[in-house]
Amino acid sequence: MRWARANLFNSPLNGVLTVVFGGFLAWAAYRMATFVFVSADWEIVRRNLTLLMVGRFDRDQLWRPWAALLILAVSIGLTAGMVGAAAADVARQRGLPVAKGSLRSAPRRFWPLILLIVVLVAFTRTVAPTFLILGVLVAGGVAVVAGQRVPARLRRFGWIVFVLGFVGAIVVLWAGGGVPWDGWGGLHLNIFIAFAGIILAFPLGLLVALARRSSLPVVRVVSVVYIEFFRGVPLISLLIMAQLMIGFLLPPSMDPPSLVVRALIAIVIFESAYIAEIVRGGLQAVPRGQVEAAQALGMSQFSIARRIVLPQALRAVIPAMVGQFISLFQDTTLLYAISLFDVLTVSDTTTSQDAFVGRGLQAVVLPCVAFLFWAVSYSMSRESRRLETRLGVGVR
Amino acid sequence: MNQRRWRWVALFAVLSLVLGACGSDDSNDAADDDDDGDTEETVELVQDGSRLDGIIDEGTFVCGVNDAVPGFGFTDEDGNFSGFDIDFCRVIAAAVLGDAEAVEYRPLAAADRFTALQSGEIDVLSRNTTWTATRDGSEGAAFTVPTFYDGQGMMVRTGEYESIDDMGGTSICVLSGTTTELNLASRFNAAGLEYEPLSFEDNDLLRESFISGQCDGWTSDKSQLAAVRSAYPEGDGGPEALTILDETFSKEPLGPAVADGDPAWYDAVNWAIIATIQAEEFGITSENIDDFLDSENPEILRFLGQAAGEDDAVLDPGLGLPADFAYQVVSQVGNYAEIYERNVGPDTALGLERGLNALYTDGGILYPPPYR
Repeated sequence: MRWARANLFNSPLNGVLTVVFGGFLAWAAYRMATFVFVSADWEIVRRNLTLLMVGRFDRDQLWRPWAALLILAVSIGLTAGMVGAAAADVARQRGLPVAKGSLRSAPRRFWPLILLIVVLVAFTRTVAPTFLILGVLVAGGVAVVAGQRVPARLRRFGWIVFVLGFVGAIVVLWAGGGVPWDGWGGLHLNIFIAFAGIILAFPLGLLVALARRSSLPVVRVVSVVYIEFFRGVPLISLLIMAQLMIGFLLPPSMDPPSLVVRALIAIVIFESAYIAEIVRGGLQAVPRGQVEAAQALGMSQFSIARRIVLPQALRAVIPAMVGQFISLFQDTTLLYAISLFDVLTVSDTTTSQDAFVGRGLQAVVLPCVAFLFWAVSYSMSRESRRLETRLGVGVR
Repeated sequence: MNQRRWRWVALFAVLSLVLGACGSDDSNDAADDDDDGDTEETVELVQDGSRLDGIIDEGTFVCGVNDAVPGFGFTDEDGNFSGFDIDFCRVIAAAVLGDAEAVEYRPLAAADRFTALQSGEIDVLSRNTTWTATRDGSEGAAFTVPTFYDGQGMMVRTGEYESIDDMGGTSICVLSGTTTELNLASRFNAAGLEYEPLSFEDNDLLRESFISGQCDGWTSDKSQLAAVRSAYPEGDGGPEALTILDETFSKEPLGPAVADGDPAWYDAVNWAIIATIQAEEFGITSENIDDFLDSENPEILRFLGQAAGEDDAVLDPGLGLPADFAYQVVSQVGNYAEIYERNVGPDTALGLERGLNALYTDGGILYPPPYR
């Protein structure tokens, strides 16, 4: 009460504003709630949930996406455990407060993801997916704890565990009579493209950023041209060119690569240019004196970059990097424009099905897709903020 | 210092070599897995033979389709392509390869479809495409017999208007940037009527403003108007509340197309489609086809690839198709009437009467050339 008086009604003008905007917010919330719980017919999402998740994936082989999800959960859990433990050590050394993660604090920490899972489970029509999701969650949780117990000297291999898990997931989906990536679709395709994009674009971007600071003119000019060209081109034009022009550019004796590979190439080229600029910002933030000091100690150029410059530079750019990754994840919906079967394309085709045609159901499907993206992106940004605090980014 | 520089250069060179190697590996893998045209065959195709031979060797062909047009091409809940245009891809596969499922579908945006056809990425375009002179000419497409005669119509609220000539001074909802918009303009200008077009980017937005009464008429292809009408919410009066005016003011013959310059492949595709219409004329359906194998009628026997006539021989018209192609088409996919009823007919969401798309004997304009 006192808080309300002090902050909301401390002058006549503020009182009026509070009433007007409060009323507007309440009205909007009421309309939204009636839409979600009363007027919207969610049948279209319920019946098409599998299609939204995995697209045209062979329905007899659905165990493969589940197995891939399990592998991903375990590898992400392990990596998160290792990185988290390392970051906690750093924070302790610097005397920063370390919030102890526990099972009780998990709902507060992961509420967007939990909400997402609850919504998805609410849309399922059988019991099996609920148990499978629970299984995946438990496996992921166990992996986090296991990751925290990994000896400190092995922690820096955390990202290798993640990459191996990602590759393992692809193998499970594809190998031995599975479905090659041309047959992938739905949210699964968006996530695959986003992960593969960042895994491939990061090393390339790092290399280009280092090249831009090289003292060799040829290397530097090539890298500047690369960065400035691809940063100046809209991603969608690169995607469309990759679809239409690769066929003309390749020698006729060579078959053009599959549509997914073409899209991935375009995305990696585009993203790496942006990542290069982010990394360059980090490199410039490292004081020149550090390099000179290392040179005075007789360290080689390579180990200066690896042991002195890059660790500090990369730590400084974590927020920008996560932001870039989130925007990459959202950019994957541009696959819609090149007729790949991503989750946005799926939402478009569902309203053409016999049972749902001409009923204006895009208003139901699109909010669902938006919610999927919001839950994933917001969780990532929350986790990155947590990591930043622990690493003391922005604290001198 | 110099030495170190060279080390950097060496590192860079090695890395770029590695990256280059990875890159070419990737594309090789993709090419191997894709396998939709063996290298030598592609070259051969360009030089002499027809696409037809390559497709028969491979056992599959690529059909460019749409995946978001109600009734004609979309993805069902189980992830299968479904619809009227999709069924004609299956017809071609059944005729050429004897297996209706031997199709690789490639969804295409409207803007990309002719590029994909020209560049050889797809073998057939079956994506509710209107046959026009420009597309036949400069776009390099060769259209087969139309599979669906559509036309632009006008939908109004029941009882408000009887014909387009009554509609002076009204506002009309239309999708922007389509030929529909141009046809609307020519129709009203020709009649000297004033009107106000309301353009929308998206059918759902258009639908909302029509329901809320912002426009008096909604113009689009009649097949699409019928789909909207049949799904009109009961709360707003149901389908009876809307009327589609009888007048059709544009011609939209929709049909498959192949790339120019390959007559053998064109003939094969064309006759696969004609077979569905011919089968309907003979009264042959996927259910009763086996009863016709010992028919008395030599024309039917010839059509089904059976020995017939005075010389008791199997007809080989030289289309490059197996003798029993019509049998495969009808038994695996069905005749024209079955395909129509299944996807767009009165019992489906679109609920379209046959209209122009009936046989010439029933008042339509489907007229299969004789198979002999």
